[in-house]
Amino acid sequence: MTASILDGIVLGLQFGVLATGLTLVYGLGGVLNLAYGQMAVISAMVVLLAMDAGVPLLAAVGLGLLAGGLLGLLLDVTILRPVYRLQGEARVLLSLLLSLGVAFIVDGFLNWRFPLRGLSLRVGGEAVEILGVRMRTGSLVASGITLLVLAVLFYLFRFTRLGRAIRSVIENEEGARLVGIDPHHMLRIILVLSGVLAAIVAVTRSMVAPVNVRAGFSITVLALIVTVVGGLGSISGAFLAGLVLGIINSIASAYIGTFLSLIILLVAAALTILIRPAGLLGVRE
Amino acid sequence: MSERFSRATGTSLVGGAESHTSRSLTAMLGTVAGMAAVLALFPLWLGDSRVLMGVAILGLAFASYAIGFNLIFGSTGQLFLCVGALAGVGGYSATILADRAGLPVLVSILAATLLAGVTGGLLSWIAVRRSLGVIFTGIVTLIFALSFENLLLGLSGVTGGDAGLQIGAGSGTFLREQIAPYYLMLALVVVFLIVHGLLRRSHVGWAFRALRDDEVAAELAGIDVARYRVYGALVGAAMLGMAGATYAFTAGRVSPTTFGFAQVDVVVIVMLAFGGIGTLLGPILGAVVFTAIDEVLIEFGQLRLLAYGVLIIVLFLWIRRGMIPTLRALIGRRGGPPNRRDTTAAHTPSTGPG
Repeated sequence: MTASILDGIVLGLQFGVLATGLTLVYGLGGVLNLAYGQMAVISAMVVLLAMDAGVPLLAAVGLGLLAGGLLGLLLDVTILRPVYRLQGEARVLLSLLLSLGVAFIVDGFLNWRFPLRGLSLRVGGEAVEILGVRMRTGSLVASGITLLVLAVLFYLFRFTRLGRAIRSVIENEEGARLVGIDPHHMLRIILVLSGVLAAIVAVTRSMVAPVNVRAGFSITVLALIVTVVGGLGSISGAFLAGLVLGIINSIASAYIGTFLSLIILLVAAALTILIRPAGLLGVRE
Repeated sequence: MSERFSRATGTSLVGGAESHTSRSLTAMLGTVAGMAAVLALFPLWLGDSRVLMGVAILGLAFASYAIGFNLIFGSTGQLFLCVGALAGVGGYSATILADRAGLPVLVSILAATLLAGVTGGLLSWIAVRRSLGVIFTGIVTLIFALSFENLLLGLSGVTGGDAGLQIGAGSGTFLREQIAPYYLMLALVVVFLIVHGLLRRSHVGWAFRALRDDEVAAELAGIDVARYRVYGALVGAAMLGMAGATYAFTAGRVSPTTFGFAQVDVVVIVMLAFGGIGTLLGPILGAVVFTAIDEVLIEFGQLRLLAYGVLIIVLFLWIRRGMIPTLRALIGRRGGPPNRRDTTAAHTPSTGPG
């Protein structure tokens, strides 16, 4: 049981980072990015190809993060332009459909060009014992990186001008505009951040299990589930939901079986929407 | 809050071809009959090839799915991202009822239709009760679709898992012949179109139109928005279930990919967006065109997925109303029937005398 809970925490932290990238873009810009998982997969492929070409590990990871950020920027200046002209649900719907198109383009291209490839980073070292459970070094390094990301995000959104500006746009776009904050500019920054977060998830995940070319859709679905449970637009909600769902997922896959564990996550998301549509920590509009 | 937004959605994505429905009953039936006559000629051209007939039958199955989805999304504004799953509820339950429980094929198709209809109605009832907007309805139904796919893979004792089920019932009958199933599916398409056409002409259609144009106003005018939404989903989902079940018997097997989200829902959305969401014949035009395109693209393997992605983006950016409204607008501009111009003129405020 302790082992499952520890595994769940490792997984849950990753869920949290993953969902943050999706939830911020939705909360800030009313954009539901269904190509989010594909951003992670492309970043993973960039790391993989860089390492194939002989680039050292850390530099390759850096290139991967850069690729993720650039993808966010690319979405912002291309297909999201027409989306920004719409408001409310029409905007969400169009962003959802267009990014689904992008997801198919990416999946089609990657499956055609690099079928069966996958990124799997080996982090060496002995297994470490925590609370009487032997944890793989990969999981620990991944969790360490994830916690660091969490700390950076926390600092960014609590203490910097940029973070406050972003939160003010989420809270009240019109009010933010009145005090001189440009919501579109903030959204562009957030899309870049979202791409970087997707890349970080791809890298940390590949330390525990391979991230293959076909993983895009399932990563998006996971992010969507965690986002919905945590509350659209809430970072602390995303992390809380990530931890809860990560632990549920690990316990379910240990005691019930893997195929049911995804269904349990899906049911958790469905119940959240039905009982508390704003999510655990979301604010109902 | 969400109700007010759904109004914007209605105007931006759902084609404004509803003036069309005021045409006479005979005109509607005539259009459907003409379309059916054209489709009925296809086997004369493709009938020699078993492969191409299989493609044509699948195309008609997709046309039926698109009609069901059009009724649910186009007419009542509920984004159901579980088209494949509802068809799968039909396909799998009919298979299991016929093969395991030994029921006659027709009875199992009807039972499967009922089951899918009730499932769709229930989803819609939940969405309406909790007043979920378009997006949350989409997410909840997507969750249903993904859970269904996982159940199919997981409960391999009942569903055959990844490999699916071979269907024993119906083998040796006309259902597995080369050409007869085509006409069976065509009959289904025609019946669905007539049902949808009649619904649009009836008081139900007026209610659909009112709730789609402005939900709050419809509610204030005394239309029970919730009830009509659930009715729409019930009928549409029953169509999906019936089409899924019938197609399963003609194909002789069902598998998770027969009804998968990527394999069915995405294609149906593209077909409908191409033909024109909310139009009567949009699903047929979309299904015919995309079945043909798909047959060409199939050689390209994974690049087919890429092409679909490009098509989705192009469709939703540039021909958002779909082909049928676009074509009608073009024809209307080049001196179509004068009464049509009169109706459009009547809607715009007149600037001068006469």
